[in-house]
Amino acid sequence: MSIDMSQFYEVFFDEAEELLAEAERLLLGIDMENPDAEDLNAIFRAAHSIKGGAATFGFMDMTEITHVLENLLDKIRKNEMVLTAEHVDAFLAAKDVLKMELDGHRLATAVDEEQVADVKMMLKSLSEAGGLAAARASSAPAPAPANEPKTVSVKPVAESAPVTVAEIVNSPVAAVTDGLTHFNIVLPEISDKDASNLQEELSLLGEVSTSKNAQGRSVLSLATDSTQADIISICSFIVEPEDLLITLAVAPSATAQTTEPVATDAGYGFFDDDIPTFASASSGATATPSVTATSTTAAVKEAGKITQNSDTVKIHEEVGYGLFATEGKENEEEGYGFFAPFQPHPDAAVAALIGDDTVLTEANSGKATVEKVAVTQTETNPTTIANAAADKRNATRRESDKAPAATETSSIRVGVEKVDQLINLVGELVITQAMIEQRISALDPVQHESLINSVGQLTRNTRDLQESVMSIRMMPMDFVFSRFPRMVRDLASKLGKKVEFVTIGAATELDKGLIERIVDPLTHLVRNSVDHGIETPEKRRAAGKSETGTLTLSASHKGGSIVIEVTDDGAGLNRDKLLAKAAKNGLSVSENMTDSEVFNLIFAPGFSTAEVVTDVSGRGVGMDVVKRNITAMNGAVEIRSALGYGTTISIALPLTLAILDGMSVSLGHSVYVIPLNLIVETLQPRAEDIKTVTGEGRMVHVRGEYLPIIALHSLFNHHTEITDPTQGVLVLIEADGKKSALFVDRLVGQQQVVIKSLETNYRKVQGVSGATIMGDGSVALILDVPAIIQMGQTDNYITGAIPFANYQNKAVETQLI
Amino acid sequence: MSMNTETVANTSNNKAKVAGGEYLTFVLGDEQYGLEILKVQEIRGYDTVTQIANTPDFIKGVVNLRGKIVPIVDLRIKFKLGKVEYDEFTVVIILNLSGRVVGIVVDGVSDVKALKEEQIRDVPSLVSNIDTKYIVGLATVEEQMFILVDIEQLMSSQEMALMDSVAVH
Repeated sequence: MSIDMSQFYEVFFDEAEELLAEAERLLLGIDMENPDAEDLNAIFRAAHSIKGGAATFGFMDMTEITHVLENLLDKIRKNEMVLTAEHVDAFLAAKDVLKMELDGHRLATAVDEEQVADVKMMLKSLSEAGGLAAARASSAPAPAPANEPKTVSVKPVAESAPVTVAEIVNSPVAAVTDGLTHFNIVLPEISDKDASNLQEELSLLGEVSTSKNAQGRSVLSLATDSTQADIISICSFIVEPEDLLITLAVAPSATAQTTEPVATDAGYGFFDDDIPTFASASSGATATPSVTATSTTAAVKEAGKITQNSDTVKIHEEVGYGLFATEGKENEEEGYGFFAPFQPHPDAAVAALIGDDTVLTEANSGKATVEKVAVTQTETNPTTIANAAADKRNATRRESDKAPAATETSSIRVGVEKVDQLINLVGELVITQAMIEQRISALDPVQHESLINSVGQLTRNTRDLQESVMSIRMMPMDFVFSRFPRMVRDLASKLGKKVEFVTIGAATELDKGLIERIVDPLTHLVRNSVDHGIETPEKRRAAGKSETGTLTLSASHKGGSIVIEVTDDGAGLNRDKLLAKAAKNGLSVSENMTDSEVFNLIFAPGFSTAEVVTDVSGRGVGMDVVKRNITAMNGAVEIRSALGYGTTISIALPLTLAILDGMSVSLGHSVYVIPLNLIVETLQPRAEDIKTVTGEGRMVHVRGEYLPIIALHSLFNHHTEITDPTQGVLVLIEADGKKSALFVDRLVGQQQVVIKSLETNYRKVQGVSGATIMGDGSVALILDVPAIIQMGQTDNYITGAIPFANYQNKAVETQLI
Repeated sequence: MSMNTETVANTSNNKAKVAGGEYLTFVLGDEQYGLEILKVQEIRGYDTVTQIANTPDFIKGVVNLRGKIVPIVDLRIKFKLGKVEYDEFTVVIILNLSGRVVGIVVDGVSDVKALKEEQIRDVPSLVSNIDTKYIVGLATVEEQMFILVDIEQLMSSQEMALMDSVAVH
């Protein structure tokens, strides 16, 4: 079965956003000298949670970033690395990138892939070389930085990032024909299976072909309109991204001119703010470079064009990359409005030589000074172009800033008790409004026309308000059910069983509080069913059943309750085994206990009939917890089982909050509400349709069916004038596949009612599922239709031969025993 | 009999606990009763109640108390005291017993009396409609006797059938 995950995206988005905000708050408040371990852990957890969530929902770009982020955090957390300012900066940059990606998924805003890649690189280089660079920075504030840092920093970066390097080296000659880019992907040594899987995955992006290169490694050629980042994210399922070597295939038609605009387009759109800052911070000589450097890609590509194959080019690119990352981050900081005053770094002296904007670069990768080379090489780039481009990007940026604000669907977390209070107040309002309406109906419509109109308006508004308030707490059961297919599948394969998982009524809405609390018991029951209920294929075959067992999870509304059932077609509960086990456990049992009493033994603490304790279940803890949890929710658990045919565990939960579409009927002076969804039809019978059996049990003949008549007045010992069905109304009710005709005095009307529990201040009343408050402020009881049908079956009350009171007394007696 | 002495012993313990409290006194028939004032939520007139099927006759039904469904017990019927009439003078004491709201119908509410421990006497063993275990003590104020009831115990007792039999489960 397939699940539409998109319905949960919103939850993930909300959660991720909260986590990001939290991480940011912690990062901003962190004490660099003496970081609080708890804070670091909290940040790590946030990253981890986002990673998990993103992976679940298939947002691989976010997973990747968080993965590297997590690696770095983990090192710091474990004191393998000292937390420095650039770490925090990198984390913040990563946070911004994640936010951008999140918005990209959520609001379909543009995601700057290059910035993503930069931040990723930065994090990687930090986690691999960060400690090294930091150590060097303090020991060697090199006065002649052009050469020295090169040797230190190039190596780790080159190791960690062949991918990006390769890309940029080749980018001037990249083939962008037909909008497709040709990539050559050199795979590390992986199994053929993995390779073919990978090829399959990549074929989703475009055309793929395989070949072997000189070293015997597989090379995949891919023609795609996707970016390299996409390829990496797909590959990262199977191979470590670090092991990949992705190059752009050389296409002769491509020229530097074609790549130039591409590069500028891939900008960030926040440069023009920076230009004055940079200009003032930099000396005259570096002013131009810093501007051109803003279109780093262009600059780097230019550089690459000039000296394509030499080692120095690589260095420039790395530098470009480092600078790039810094730029992106710093700009974003401005854009987001936090972190404005940058902390001067310990080797600020060095920084002064080359301008402030390089401080971060140097700090981050230890090779900032090389940037000067790269930058000066590209001096020829006209500043005006960069400016114009920046302006243009700025404009688009502003536009795109507006868009999310308009479409962003945000959520707030509110305490449940506040919502409950709101719901109660709205309930009150609805009742008050109904009272007003009733008073109004007594007025002369001509004289009070405008008042009546206003009240009509009030009525509509109140209904809308009530509906929206009620919907706050309700969630579909699918929220719970969707967790299970995977679990069942995994369990089944672990246990060597074949299980088909079916859900019914996933749209049934249940109060959020109950939804959250039902997950654990339900998980336990499902696990039990797979482990103990459904037999192995061999046993099933021997028993003449199909090898595949069926596990059904269903939810439905039944008489003011939500009934959630876990049904398996497995072995069923073995009464004798249960009794024997109970006797062994020292529980007082006897042979003449009813089946349901025997089955209920499994809820006793420490009770398990599984012969083998598996890591899945069988320890005997759990069922008692299940029972306790459900009882705590005012629910009830019932077990139905037939040996060899399967087991159904049925959980009935009260609908404390639901509104009900009801038909109100009158009986004597009282009004009762019948849930509308259980009413088939209503009719006034003719005398000839009323039949009797042995002169007593009355039935009505409706469309070829004979239905028993249940007279509500005798069932409830309620005085009424109308005792002849032909004088009253028969309401045909149906529950659990059984139909009956309920005999009442009159139909009053159809309305939505708020279910109020009788049990809050009173107790459960048989035949009544709850109460509601009518328009005049009086209380009306809501009938529990399935119970009434059952009560009607136990005795036919129309004759009054067995007063119901007796029946109830019997029930009380059994209860007391 | 031994059980009775036991309950008396219990009540003397209770008495020590509740001594010196304020009691709302009310009339049932010719007798004056008192219950702990802190259990009282409000006092209101008798309104139309909604009958509940198949309940003992002293449970009049339920009313809507500002959105809450509250059961109403007529103590006059339960204890076979006073004339059972419902008019504009009929009084309902709304009790809040550990979060559960219950209304009781009485003949009338008299006063709030502050009682000192020495004013409260033990209950002798006797036969009455109220099990003596629900009577905390007897107080005398100006030659008048007040029967002090542990209303919470009474209302949650099995015989009142006001709650699901929690104890049985």
